[in-house]
Amino acid sequence: MRFACDTGGTFTDLVVEHDDGSWSMFKAETVPGDPPAGVLAVLAKAAEAAQAPLDEYLAVADSFIHGTTHAINAVITGSTAKTALLTTQGHKDILYFREGGRLEPFNHTVPYPAPYVPRRLTYEVPGRIDCAGAVLIALDEAAVLDIIESLKAQHIEAVAVCLIWSISNNAHETRVAELLAEHLPGVPVSISHQLNPVIREFRRASSTAIDASLKPTMSRYLNDLTGRLRQAGFDGRVLMLTSQGGMMDIDDVAEAPIRVINSGPSTAPLAGDFFASRASTLKNTIVADTGGTTYDVSLVRQGRIPFAREMWIGRPFIGHMAGFPSVDVKSVGAGGGSIAWIDAGGVLHVGPQSAGADPGPACYQRGGDRATVTDASMVLGYIDPDFFLGGEMALDTDASSAVIQRDVADPMNVSLEEAASAIITIATENMVRAIEEITVNQGIDPSQAILIGGGGAAGLNSVLIARRLGCPELLIPEAGPVMSATGALISDLRNEYRQLFFTTLQSFDLAGANAALGTLETQCQAFIDGPGAAAIDSSIEYRVEARYKNQVWDIEVPLPFSRFNGKADIEAFADIFHQEHLSLFAVNDPDSDIEIVSWLATVRCPLRASSAGRMRFAATRRGKQNLRSIFFDELGRVDAPVFQFGEMKLNQRVKGPAIIENEFTTVVINPGAGARMNGDGNLAITPWGESGI
Amino acid sequence: MTDNTEIKPLNGAQLAILNNRLEGIAQKMANTLMRTGRSGVLNRAKDFSCCIVTADCRLIATADSLPIHVLSGADHMARVMKEFHPDFQRGDAFMNNSPYHGCSHPADHTLLVPVIDDAGDHRFTVLAKAHQADIGNSIPTTYHGAAVDVYEEGALIFPSVKVQDNFEDNMDFVRMCEMRIRVPGQWRGDYLAMVGSCRIGERELVGLIGEVGWPLLEQFVRQWFDYSENRMIEAIGRLQSGTQSASSTHDHFPGTPEEGIRITSTVSIDSAAARIEVDLRDNPEALPCGLNLSQACAETAAMVGVFNSIDHTVPKNAGSFRRIDIRLRENSVCGIPSHPTSCSVATTNVADRVANSTQMAIAEISEGAGMAEVGAVIAPSAGVISGVDPRNGEPYVNQVFLGFTAGAASPFADAWVTTGHVGNGGMCFLDSVELAELYQPILVYDRHILADTAGAGQQVGANCAYIEFGPVGGPMDVGYVSDGVTNGPKGARGGQSGGCADQYLLHPDSSKEPLPACAQITIEDGQHIVAITTGGGGYGPPTLRTPESVALDAAEGLITREYAREVYGVALTSDGVIDEAATAALRRAG
Repeated sequence: MRFACDTGGTFTDLVVEHDDGSWSMFKAETVPGDPPAGVLAVLAKAAEAAQAPLDEYLAVADSFIHGTTHAINAVITGSTAKTALLTTQGHKDILYFREGGRLEPFNHTVPYPAPYVPRRLTYEVPGRIDCAGAVLIALDEAAVLDIIESLKAQHIEAVAVCLIWSISNNAHETRVAELLAEHLPGVPVSISHQLNPVIREFRRASSTAIDASLKPTMSRYLNDLTGRLRQAGFDGRVLMLTSQGGMMDIDDVAEAPIRVINSGPSTAPLAGDFFASRASTLKNTIVADTGGTTYDVSLVRQGRIPFAREMWIGRPFIGHMAGFPSVDVKSVGAGGGSIAWIDAGGVLHVGPQSAGADPGPACYQRGGDRATVTDASMVLGYIDPDFFLGGEMALDTDASSAVIQRDVADPMNVSLEEAASAIITIATENMVRAIEEITVNQGIDPSQAILIGGGGAAGLNSVLIARRLGCPELLIPEAGPVMSATGALISDLRNEYRQLFFTTLQSFDLAGANAALGTLETQCQAFIDGPGAAAIDSSIEYRVEARYKNQVWDIEVPLPFSRFNGKADIEAFADIFHQEHLSLFAVNDPDSDIEIVSWLATVRCPLRASSAGRMRFAATRRGKQNLRSIFFDELGRVDAPVFQFGEMKLNQRVKGPAIIENEFTTVVINPGAGARMNGDGNLAITPWGESGI
Repeated sequence: MTDNTEIKPLNGAQLAILNNRLEGIAQKMANTLMRTGRSGVLNRAKDFSCCIVTADCRLIATADSLPIHVLSGADHMARVMKEFHPDFQRGDAFMNNSPYHGCSHPADHTLLVPVIDDAGDHRFTVLAKAHQADIGNSIPTTYHGAAVDVYEEGALIFPSVKVQDNFEDNMDFVRMCEMRIRVPGQWRGDYLAMVGSCRIGERELVGLIGEVGWPLLEQFVRQWFDYSENRMIEAIGRLQSGTQSASSTHDHFPGTPEEGIRITSTVSIDSAAARIEVDLRDNPEALPCGLNLSQACAETAAMVGVFNSIDHTVPKNAGSFRRIDIRLRENSVCGIPSHPTSCSVATTNVADRVANSTQMAIAEISEGAGMAEVGAVIAPSAGVISGVDPRNGEPYVNQVFLGFTAGAASPFADAWVTTGHVGNGGMCFLDSVELAELYQPILVYDRHILADTAGAGQQVGANCAYIEFGPVGGPMDVGYVSDGVTNGPKGARGGQSGGCADQYLLHPDSSKEPLPACAQITIEDGQHIVAITTGGGGYGPPTLRTPESVALDAAEGLITREYAREVYGVALTSDGVIDEAATAALRRAG
């Protein structure tokens, strides 16, 4: 038996994989001041459902896989360690200047962001290395020792070291690390070339500073969590999900906590791609996860999980750059809690403001007084007020009607239902725009892709999103409400390595390229022999970051081989690059030289054979409804049949208008659309009807 | 939807959706251009823009672009395209970089593609404008500040020239550019990026028309302009009425009078009638140098000053523009130039003085509106560097973006520090030291901000920055046009001026040699060039800044303790703690 547990802002999700391969899902409220308490609470629910004492229940489990927002929350709320940055003399303001750039050039109300490490805790180290790795100015060790004395006097709790060009020659950084270990023992240190050897000193410095600042708090958290799990009777392996969508032993996480900064959302694309590949022949998969405040989307092209190096914590240019490779999940402020409002010119907007989970939508009756997307769904009759979270939380339809009437229907001079429907339409449009940015902008036609609707609120408008995008297939997984935790169950032990080595195709350094690839292979093999020793298999995938001469934004291109064996391989690579550029940007330039900057390898060690579990439903519906009055623009009010997810038979077909629900989610099948229960227990929906997938 | 359908007025939801679609298309164009462009000025400084104008040449949608790029100009260029090529058809593309025909300045190559729907009707024109690394000027810079006229400038000028026919390049045009433009491969890559951008915009718009039908889209365009105008009416209604003149003086450069170029903007706000007038007629005659504005830049700079001063959520399109009246004069330095007046540097120096004096005038008329002066450009840290790379023997020309800190205070917040100048609104990316050293044979020795150089105020401007760099292994040319050495950025409504720019050479023996403000100089191996960038002006009296903010500025080294005391009237102990009693006394005496 294995557990996958994802602690989100509102709920702590748990998926249990039983020894027969079946799954159960549970949710408990997250305890913000004490997240492990929420973890133990949700485990207690699972034990209760299994009618076993908690300690006995936990004792037979092999592993506990954990995703958490703890690290990212610490950064956002500033509750991290008092951290110092040591950088190259003359470049004290790396974190102050950042990389320039801004989103809204006429918006002068947004303050310029403060540096992640204040200037007063930033220290300049004399010594300089150039891009070829040559030492231009020797490291001044006496100056470093003086700095260490200041760090002691300041009671610094963590230290980040990022020197210019440490990625071409790490001697100075390595020596500074030795001096810190010797003279400042016990204070955690992060070293840029070890942590994140990327070019661009701001990104490296930013990720190193964030990593160092997280070490004390994440060590405490992980010790606390594992201690309490052990105390409760769990004796298996504790793994954490990384921003790269893989798993890692918690001791390795403590060494580099920034690796788990995007730990929750990163596995949703894995789950989405897994279900899509079993349900559809379409090559591209759009994975969407609707939460209370955000809508997370990613594009899986031909089974490749997308990666980004530009992940921001908070809004781009205003938040902090993680500067670390992360599963590319684009997050926009659109969700059940998004607030609808009318501007001075009479145009309707939904978001980016959100009522979040607290106070939440008006119908929650927790003090929310603004019209939200969830309230619109209440007015339209999509959500059963008595069956939300299996009836754990009663919702108030009248409260929803009142705020929508006041904030939207009256100002727009339309009926209550029309107003609610307009809110859903605009929310849909915002979500479509987010998906278009990751598809059309990269040359992917959504009409050739399957849409996966994950998240508890996905079912409300996913048919509309699929129609607007022209997606021929929509899949709502039964595990959709716990998508990230489900992704955790099917994720592999995984690590990523990077070598910086610059060469161009016209003057290709074959020996240098193969040396970089050789180093990567050695690193991957060490991982396979170490943390991956218990795995059932292993694989290594090589990629490069490359671009046309003089471009600055490189693209990631897979290498079909692990070494270059002469001219034919170089030409084969050139062809792949030109094709990739054409498919991303609609143009290519076969006459241009190609520059390769970085070499990457991903090592994967699956712990289990790949197969999907079927969900066991814990709760069946109390006081079953067979018909529900719901509103659609094209039909007005209709009495639509209501089906239970867990009671649908294999290949049972449902024609819209209809509702399919379970305790965690409601799926609206719009008029004209059709749904079919597939073999994995997921809903295969054809947005425009017909036979079903 | 058929063409015969009676179209009812769209509701607020439908308006939002169609606007979203058009903006999304402009954004897709911009994304393509940035990700595929080759020159640093394009992909690092984001010195490009993409927009959509209606068939009758009114600006309807833009991607977030440099402000100086888009507000006016697209309309003029689309009009010129129709006038010169009345028989244009699908598959055509036109190049315009002529400051006499609606373009901002010759460095901004602009590609125009008419969007013709499946019924054969011209519905929109899409534009992609990108500042080039080189355009074949007589010297290797796109900012030829000293050029007495367009002939001395030397660039190829394209007054709406047809460069694609049936989606194929006119190779004559391509070969002419390749014979004249330095590092032609880089230009060709940027041209290709513009073609990709326009064609993506065209494809998406044709698709949208097919999807919703032209009558509905036409109705949207009408209503969206009205909506935008109404938002503008409401925003102006919140300002106080009045008339003010404000002046901003550009430093002396070759070809200008000794006292520099004094630019005056006279702004009249009539909040009841909801109109803003910007009168630029009372300004000097065009000068024998490259600083003169094109009509597009004169109009846009005035509008930048206006939109910096009001509610930023007002849409910027031909609808809101109806409420702005800009008065220009022919042959003025900031009016409508006539050939062969040079407008080589039209998007920055004098344009910044126009925008700054306009937003300062608005600040004086209406409390809580307007903005302080943003600092000036173009210091050597943002200059065009060129030479031969000793590592591979190949020539290079590129504009670098090693440092800029010109941000000004607004009534609402301290400055956005990394603002290049008022026309760029902070959009420009800053070069990474490592990337700059990898791409060019240079070393960046030092880059940090200087204490006590920000425009003090209730809201604070940006501090100046010190940037020191130099060539490695051979000589390097640097071209720059550094305004703001004499006339720093002024504060608004009691705010103080920000620090001035400066530049000098550092010889190997550490001696300093002053450098002229506008020059193309050669730096030898072993020499370093130092650029001090301007700061930005403050807004409101410094004595109204909270003592806590002043203490934090001091703790962070942005100001010294002495400066906190003298300028802000805040007494800090040697530990940086606020001395309440002494502060109260200082501020009472202040």
